[in-house]
Amino acid sequence: MTTLPTPRPGHEGSEVPPLITASPGGRRRRPAGEPPPLPRHIDHSIRWYLALTGIAGALWAAMSVPPVLGLITRADLAVLHAVAAVRTAWLTRLMLDVNALASPWTVRLLAFGTIAVLVAYRRFQHLAAYLVIFLAAVLLLSAMTREIGRMRPTGIEILGPWQGYAQPSLPVATLTLALVGVLYTLMPAGRWRNRGKWAAGIILAAVCAARLYLAVDHPTDQLTALIIGWPLAVVAFWLAVPNDVFPVSYRGGRKAHLDIGGRRGAAIVTALDHQLGLTVIGVEPFGLEASAGSTPLRIRVPGPGGGETTLFGKLYALNHLRSDRWYKLARTVIYGRLEDEKPFSTVRRLVEYEDHMLRLMRDAGLPTPRPYGFAEITPEREYLIVMEFFEGSQEIRDALVDDRVIDDALRVVRRMWDAGIAHRDIKPSNILVRDGHVLLIDVAFAAVRPTPWRQAVDLANMMLTLALSSTPEHVYERALGVFAADDVAEAFAACRSITVPSQSRSLIGTDGRDLIGCFRQLAPPRRPISIQLWNIKRVAVTAGLLAALAVAVALFGAYLSVAGLL
Amino acid sequence: MTPRRDARSLQRRARRGPFGVLLATVMLTVGAALCGCAASSGTVPGCGDPLRLAIIAQSVPSASYLPCISGLAPGWNTSGFNPTQDGTSFLLNSDRSPGHPVTVRLAATCNASGASPSPSRAPGVLTYTRLDSISPRFAGTLYDVFPGGCVSYGFDFAPGSQIALVEQFEDAVGLYSRQQLRLILKQKLGVELNP
Repeated sequence: MTTLPTPRPGHEGSEVPPLITASPGGRRRRPAGEPPPLPRHIDHSIRWYLALTGIAGALWAAMSVPPVLGLITRADLAVLHAVAAVRTAWLTRLMLDVNALASPWTVRLLAFGTIAVLVAYRRFQHLAAYLVIFLAAVLLLSAMTREIGRMRPTGIEILGPWQGYAQPSLPVATLTLALVGVLYTLMPAGRWRNRGKWAAGIILAAVCAARLYLAVDHPTDQLTALIIGWPLAVVAFWLAVPNDVFPVSYRGGRKAHLDIGGRRGAAIVTALDHQLGLTVIGVEPFGLEASAGSTPLRIRVPGPGGGETTLFGKLYALNHLRSDRWYKLARTVIYGRLEDEKPFSTVRRLVEYEDHMLRLMRDAGLPTPRPYGFAEITPEREYLIVMEFFEGSQEIRDALVDDRVIDDALRVVRRMWDAGIAHRDIKPSNILVRDGHVLLIDVAFAAVRPTPWRQAVDLANMMLTLALSSTPEHVYERALGVFAADDVAEAFAACRSITVPSQSRSLIGTDGRDLIGCFRQLAPPRRPISIQLWNIKRVAVTAGLLAALAVAVALFGAYLSVAGLL
Repeated sequence: MTPRRDARSLQRRARRGPFGVLLATVMLTVGAALCGCAASSGTVPGCGDPLRLAIIAQSVPSASYLPCISGLAPGWNTSGFNPTQDGTSFLLNSDRSPGHPVTVRLAATCNASGASPSPSRAPGVLTYTRLDSISPRFAGTLYDVFPGGCVSYGFDFAPGSQIALVEQFEDAVGLYSRQQLRLILKQKLGVELNP
């Protein structure tokens, strides 16, 4: 029944085909010790922030020596006396009002607001970083406050309310932390964050000036508080949620896409040149709206005869890996584990697997993109897999679906069955048509030696996709030329709502026809194949998640108490 | 950072996920809660650490004496040290009276009405005791009244060990002279304790 051309012996897909021109420099091995294409970059501002943190440490060390503490205190008091020289009744009232900005209620409002927005937008990585940084900073501040035990300004009338030791100034530090938290978890990097920094800077300057006027803090109390609350917190956010991996964005669409401009863009060009021998003419995002698990790219390279050829690339990073883990955990809880869906342990493994599947499916004669290998952008963190771009193809929804296309699509499933492979994500957006031939893309979820159930589901999903552009009766009739009637019966006995990809489900809903019911009526009767939705593992995972939720609520209460937010 | 170290640190980061960060949060929270390192808690300065006592002096500028920890008997600890512009308060906790700490508060004035005089604890200090109940619990307030201020000690003990516990908390809290503190601050830091 196989009519597709038999693949040539050997590893056809592993060769660099002649449709692109290799880089003139050729591939180049990165010598030991040379940085990768996109090494972790430490901004100058981060270096400055670290230096400032050193100043805070030096001040604290100096304050443990009484004569030095006396010197610092006298210098602080000289500043406070100079400021106190301008005290007037109306200015005092104004400064007391400004100082109210540093009240615990302001900090609570900012902190709870930040947490609420992060939860609403499901930015759990930012939320986790925010919680741990806020708590760690508050604990550090509290510990230093107790350790130094500095008195409030003396020899001058204190006009404002105060609580506890003076060094470092806890109200200034916690307000700074709360503002920095807003800036680095809620504000998109760039213009908005820069504006936010100015606004936060003005607020903090006003509060600090007011507290100096009221003689509540020494200047050095505020200096160390600002250093812990701003530079140290920024460094911590940079380490925990680097903007190039976890960008803050409120644009529509997927959040998983990476910015491919700037250093990353240059690194991609270098990596493709050195590692895959490709001279890149241009790289641009492509089809972002249809991709959640990677950043899809269209890569232009020189073709034979001076022309251009387009390749398709998928950039994988840590955030994609984590999305994959959460997705699979959610599926286990919502549906039960349908079959082996273990998450990948590293980005490298994820990319290696997709590259392997591309080569395997190509070797099996399946119409999948020709693989060109993958390039390492940042070790263990970012990889770019490159494959053929199906130029001139259309998504099956937009193409003319005639008998030739239907037969070709069904033969593709047949070939997968024969090769012991399941695609596991057969849906319209993954089936392209070019010159009447069906092409299959996105093989990242494919499996070798899948369960018979999963193979049957692939057939059902392909027939449903075809029926959307035709009729179930016609597709069934054509299917009988490639599959036995019992195979079709098995496919629709295995078919359930949850086995149909969400895109197909949505299109079937819009279509209005009961396609699954039609196919079941056409096929020989067969009892539905039960899917073990509830198993011990799912019960255990669900119970574990519920218990974790309860513990999380209790811990959150403890957290608020410890972090001083209650 | 060298490239090799950079790669190693990235590998470590690659293995770390939101679970790792959340775990760190949980550990910090639990650790801090267990060790009593919450933002609002703190230990009370000892009488041998005058530089830390200055904040207590600032909380009641008129007080001629300042409460401090002169020595804790086994099983006792302090918590909740909270000096403010309105006075200073802290707790004395005994493992023999769980959940019922002695509440110590320094204020400019006290209402010691109904309290009976007791032996004075320091020169120039008048001590009073008011018992609110003897049974089922031994509860009341002890006052140290001195020029410009007063220290109150609210206690609530189970009967049986109350005599020893009262003696222990009285011994735990000493009274430090403001005049002496003023001299030390002038000598060590070169600053005046106002007023």
